[in-house]
Amino acid sequence: MPTFAGLTDERTLRAVPPAVSIMLALTLALQLLWHGLQPSPTAHAEALPAAPDTISLRAASFGEPIAAAQILVLYLQAFDNQPGISIPFLDLDYDRVTGWLAAALQLDPHSGYPLMMASQLYGQVPDVRKQRAMCEFVHAQFFIAPDEHWRWLAHCAIMAKHRLKDQALALRYATDITRNASKASGWARQMRIFILEDMGETESARVLLGGLLATGEITDPSEVNFLTERLQALELTGKSSPASKSRH
Amino acid sequence: MHITTIGKYTAIEAVRTRVPVMALLVLAALLGASFFIRELAVTETIRFQTGFYATAARLCAVFLVSLYVLASITREFNDKGLDVLLALDVPRAHYICGKLAGFMLTALVVAVIVSLPLWALAPTAAAWMWTASLFVELALVVALSLFCIVTFNQLLPAAGFVAAFYLLARSLTAMRLMSAHPVAGEDTLSHQVTGLFVESLAYVMPALDRWTETAWLVNAAPEAGVLLVIAVQGAIYLALLTAATLFDFHRRSL
Repeated sequence: MPTFAGLTDERTLRAVPPAVSIMLALTLALQLLWHGLQPSPTAHAEALPAAPDTISLRAASFGEPIAAAQILVLYLQAFDNQPGISIPFLDLDYDRVTGWLAAALQLDPHSGYPLMMASQLYGQVPDVRKQRAMCEFVHAQFFIAPDEHWRWLAHCAIMAKHRLKDQALALRYATDITRNASKASGWARQMRIFILEDMGETESARVLLGGLLATGEITDPSEVNFLTERLQALELTGKSSPASKSRH
Repeated sequence: MHITTIGKYTAIEAVRTRVPVMALLVLAALLGASFFIRELAVTETIRFQTGFYATAARLCAVFLVSLYVLASITREFNDKGLDVLLALDVPRAHYICGKLAGFMLTALVVAVIVSLPLWALAPTAAAWMWTASLFVELALVVALSLFCIVTFNQLLPAAGFVAAFYLLARSLTAMRLMSAHPVAGEDTLSHQVTGLFVESLAYVMPALDRWTETAWLVNAAPEAGVLLVIAVQGAIYLALLTAATLFDFHRRSL
């Protein structure tokens, strides 16, 4: 019959010398008192450090750059919510934020996560300069893999048009999508035409729309119909139609 | 007299089982790795090297000392050496205190050995305070390991408890802060119960995250008062763990 030492082989409490029991009670009381005398911990906001260089990150990733990139973006994403304190995105140093996002993209160029964070999180702060910085970051990174990153630049184009009220910037982004992202959705590739139309550049819009229909790039019958109607409206009016005014 | 003798032979056992040699090997391996890290960094190279070495050395020292205490006492239990010793005229308290003294001496040697490179990498005052704090931390880990192995008798549960306790003690302050300032659901019952539990834990556990900080080495050495607080908390907790070990050991039927 096995015995379970330590579980059943125990002597009674009377076997413990009173001095040991008193010492245990006293030291426990002392510990409680000591803790009670200590000030409560206070939360301190830590500034975002500069991003490590990519070579170091690759070495530290032990051959798993994708995992390292994921940890990097999650660290950055969680940085605004440090233990016991919440830092508004607006208070972050955006040069450093850009550095972290760029490092994550260098480790995993096919990931859209850093660009999503740039356009949807850090680009939403009420600071025009920071919004522009994030859009420029997305624009610069778009060229690494245009067919994979176009949707984030499209978001920035819409942001530039409606929030920044910078039609020229929106047109630049939309043009780059049309020219470089051949696999982008039709709406993103056609965005350039509608921006031109809204800018009053109806002639350019008409030429582009006509070209788009003539190449046969659009195959969906409903979309062809819609665009044909738009082209006809442009040719008839020669300027922006009511539909365009109510589109966005 | 018994305490001194038991302590002396415990320290000799540590030397014969090559604990100081292991500490030197840890030093060599981590120092080599830290030079590699230093070569990778393009700026703040010394800061990178010091930060890596200090963090890794602290963890390795805790692991080494804790495992040594657990293995040593387990061997003593299995070899029936303890039964023979207690059959002699040796009070149980003397055995525990002697063992603790020997293990603490071992912890001091390990703390000094693994700290050696930091005397060259960091300012002297910072290195001194870091070494002293590491010794107090290792002494506490020694007492905790002794308590666990006496209480649980088996290596696996004892090692698991020590690891869990150490990790919790290192993260308890962050848990308290998160619990005190939640992002959402502050008024829910579950949050209030969790908050109470975390605060209660803080009463009976030392906040090890404020001990042996790498920031002392790479930023600025703390004021002497910080070390005093660590020493007082260490002494209180060491006495508490010793009392708990004695309590359990006196109840043990050999």
